Amino acid sequence: MTAWLFIAPAAIAYAAFVLVPLAMSFYYSFLRWDGIGEARFHGLTNYLTVLTDPKLLQIIGNAFQLVGYFTIIPVLLGLAVASVIRGHMAGPFGTATRTILFLPQVIPLVAAGIAWSWMFASTGVVNQGLRAIGMSDWARGWLGDFVWALPAVGIIGAWVLLGLCTMLLVTGITKIDPSLYEAARLDGARPWHEFRYITLPGLRQEIAVCVTLTVISALASFDIVYISTLGGPGITTTVPGLEIYRLAFAHRQVGLASALAIVLMVLVLISIAPIQWFAREKK
Amino acid sequence: MKTALSNTLVARGLIILLMIVTLLPFIAMFSAALAPQGTYPNGLQWPADPQWGNFVRAFEVSKMDQLLLSSTLIVLGVVPISVLIATMAGYGLAKLTTNKYKWLYLAFVFGLTLPFEAVITPLYYEVRALGLLNTRFAIILPLIGLYMPFGVYWMRAHFLNVPHDLTEAAQLDGATRWKEFWLVQVPLARPAIMSLTILLFLWTWNQFLLPVVLVQDPMQRTMAGALGAFQGQWGTDIPLLCAGALLILAPTIVLFLMFQRQFVAALMQGAVKG
Amino acid sequence: MRNQSRHALRIAALTLSVAATAGTALAAPSCGTDPVVLNSYFETGFPLPTRLAEEFTRQFPNVTFDIKEDQFANMMENSPRILSEPNAPDLIRVPSITDLVANNLLRNLDADFDALGWDQFPAGQLVQLRVEEGGRPRGTGSLYGMGINYSMTGVFYNKELAAQIGMTEAPKSVAELDALMAKAKEAGILPVMQWNKGTGGFAFPLQNLMGAYGAPEPINDWIFQKDGATINTADNLKAAEHLEGWIKAGYFPSDANAIEYFQMMSRFMGGEGLFMFNGDWESGNLDTNAKDKFGFFIMPSLEEGGRHASMSSPLTFGISANAANPECAAFFLDWVARNEEARKINVEVGGSNPGGPTDLPMPAVEPGSVTEQSLAAGATLAQDNGAMDFIANATGAIFAAGWTPELQKMVGGQQNAGGLLEAVQREYETQLSR
Repeated sequence: MTAWLFIAPAAIAYAAFVLVPLAMSFYYSFLRWDGIGEARFHGLTNYLTVLTDPKLLQIIGNAFQLVGYFTIIPVLLGLAVASVIRGHMAGPFGTATRTILFLPQVIPLVAAGIAWSWMFASTGVVNQGLRAIGMSDWARGWLGDFVWALPAVGIIGAWVLLGLCTMLLVTGITKIDPSLYEAARLDGARPWHEFRYITLPGLRQEIAVCVTLTVISALASFDIVYISTLGGPGITTTVPGLEIYRLAFAHRQVGLASALAIVLMVLVLISIAPIQWFAREKK
Repeated sequence: MKTALSNTLVARGLIILLMIVTLLPFIAMFSAALAPQGTYPNGLQWPADPQWGNFVRAFEVSKMDQLLLSSTLIVLGVVPISVLIATMAGYGLAKLTTNKYKWLYLAFVFGLTLPFEAVITPLYYEVRALGLLNTRFAIILPLIGLYMPFGVYWMRAHFLNVPHDLTEAAQLDGATRWKEFWLVQVPLARPAIMSLTILLFLWTWNQFLLPVVLVQDPMQRTMAGALGAFQGQWGTDIPLLCAGALLILAPTIVLFLMFQRQFVAALMQGAVKG
Repeated sequence: MRNQSRHALRIAALTLSVAATAGTALAAPSCGTDPVVLNSYFETGFPLPTRLAEEFTRQFPNVTFDIKEDQFANMMENSPRILSEPNAPDLIRVPSITDLVANNLLRNLDADFDALGWDQFPAGQLVQLRVEEGGRPRGTGSLYGMGINYSMTGVFYNKELAAQIGMTEAPKSVAELDALMAKAKEAGILPVMQWNKGTGGFAFPLQNLMGAYGAPEPINDWIFQKDGATINTADNLKAAEHLEGWIKAGYFPSDANAIEYFQMMSRFMGGEGLFMFNGDWESGNLDTNAKDKFGFFIMPSLEEGGRHASMSSPLTFGISANAANPECAAFFLDWVARNEEARKINVEVGGSNPGGPTDLPMPAVEPGSVTEQSLAAGATLAQDNGAMDFIANATGAIFAAGWTPELQKMVGGQQNAGGLLEAVQREYETQLSR
């Protein structure tokens, strides 16, 4: 009884603003409704549309492409940095590093979007840099380019997540028993082998954390895209989050928006599950 | 010896490069913020005649003082309550329930990976039915609910690590329980509560989707939402936009620099556990 | 008792007739004398409505404006939601009204039309703002919006660059325009500065070309959602192919898809680009900020002496169906068209025809200014009866979901003329079937 009194407030808040809306989302997803007039039952049609409409499939695909940038770049770069700087994070230099690398985590994604929109602008810093090293041919309007807009958005996400992943991995690496490295060195192991057989297994947990976090932020991205490209050019950078927002509030297709929302939720769960399982397996 | 030294150099060089990449967008914004108003600045350059006045004008047009107040009110509405009820529930789930109630815990955890977009449409209609659209409560109430999965998960994890004999001392009746919770458990949980507070503060301050959908008036929004509106209104003037964006960022960055250690610790633990 | 009431009736009748002769009915919407705050939602980057609001407050100190602004693309997407909320704006810039009318989100202005005597306005000015019950077709039915001014699109040109390539007068046919562009390209001058990020700015040259290749009427039918109308016609295909030719010839900036509207303005005013397809709402801006440097001409017809047709539409404002101060908002819209000072601001800042009753004098403009040229172009257009609404206003979402992405694809070399029209038509039909 007492337990319930302790748990109830949280449970009520959670039910009222997460579980009930989620159930409503599920209910809406079977309707054909413009959000104002009368709703009609629409069966599984909305789900069928989400899973067959080439536009919506491309939009879902975009989110998975973003995973490539949001996840792979921070994790790989973070691993590289972590294995090189193992043990160099003490003192004021370490503090400065931590502080700076964490900055992107502290600021709103909107600000990251604004800053990078300006970096990627035709007259922005990226093009300035390219021209300075004689690669003027490469200068372009990055966020308006059919080939490069999505990678550019991906870079923004990678920038935001890089510091956090790096620091997680650096911290993880200090927890690995140093004697393992010494023993390996005595055996004449190459750096690559050290990395492959000591560092990587030792960081299993941290890598899983990084991957989980970054995959979620890629699949559920909204802020960065809304600010930097609004989904263009064409629909090359439109992500499910943005499309849900548009369908629900601009195009007034609440049913379809909700179906896409449910599909997005399921996709996140499906993507995360194997990572969690992988992390737990060899604990 | 020599390889160790060169190793250090490589390591430092790599870190410094990483730091430059991290800072570059901020520096670019800063240089653009000093260009004459209404122009399109050209890349990274120190302007011949830095227009510090852009910051003053950005402060005025963004009504920074009101924005700060609004964000602060929202944070005050969300964070203390969230932390309190999450702590209570964490304690309840960790110490007062048996395995039979594992499902309750799992129900909370289920929300951990939930993208906010999945519930934003019904939230809109729910908040509208409550008559709260365009008020700060439209952001405050849903956020409290949306933070529960993480908050409860976080606090439960803390309380699970508290040795059992502490609690066994005060068994049974509710009033005693309540006392024990406040006088023994909460003080002991201070580090965990502190970290949770920092994380929820940051997430609230930086929340964008909810204000965009639920609140039109920038003066009733969070900082991130206000920044979005600022971009909508002044995005056509790059120097002013950059100046305004930097101003809007300033309070968080100052807080972050002041409490750097606590922030970093909270973010790292938050990541690991979340 | 009986006598008294008859007396009262007579007084009422008398007042009524006095009011009628004065040109306004008895209960004409006004802002009263109590303090009123007009909740307003305007488009970012266009100072005209705000300037008018300031002048209005000067003349009617009890009325103040609470103005929020957003960029065009955001406005298009946000307006249905904002209008459906309890404290919906009194005054709102509404690019496209059909969907809003279908959902009963806009105030029916028929009563204001009668009360404020808008029958004195040329009927043609209001045609685009009339919608039949249920949201379609447009062009007939009740009035749901008013224009703050009546603008048209055409071609701006940079006088200095024009002199460099020996352009002495406005082109009289599309072929002449082509020749000028080719000449500019040869001389190393960017022929056309055009934006295509955020919203598809290539819709301007495309619609101008459509007007040159075919009659405006079928295009208006399509925009007004008449049954069976299609954008995918033989004439429009030729127009789209012509545009594709310009793109392939490199007449537009290669990074057009990354150029936003205001970036285009800034670059064009900075001397980049011989031409720019845009609306006369920028005339006032160019006259103020770059005096004597730019000119304006109407899109030439296909053959010399042919009929001119161009996008020309009101800068539409609506009043929310559940606005708190609808009458004051209606009075403001009336005032904008009639008040001398307002009309002056309208021409000076807006650069376009202020509309209103035909017998009101047109505010004076400076000779040789861009505004003078664009007003003259407007007269030509009226003569040829060639006004079309904007193809992006056909439905609420056709710009965001049809034209913009498809035009961006075309610029990016991922879509051809036929595919563009087909895709837009398909999107249009999907939207109408909802």
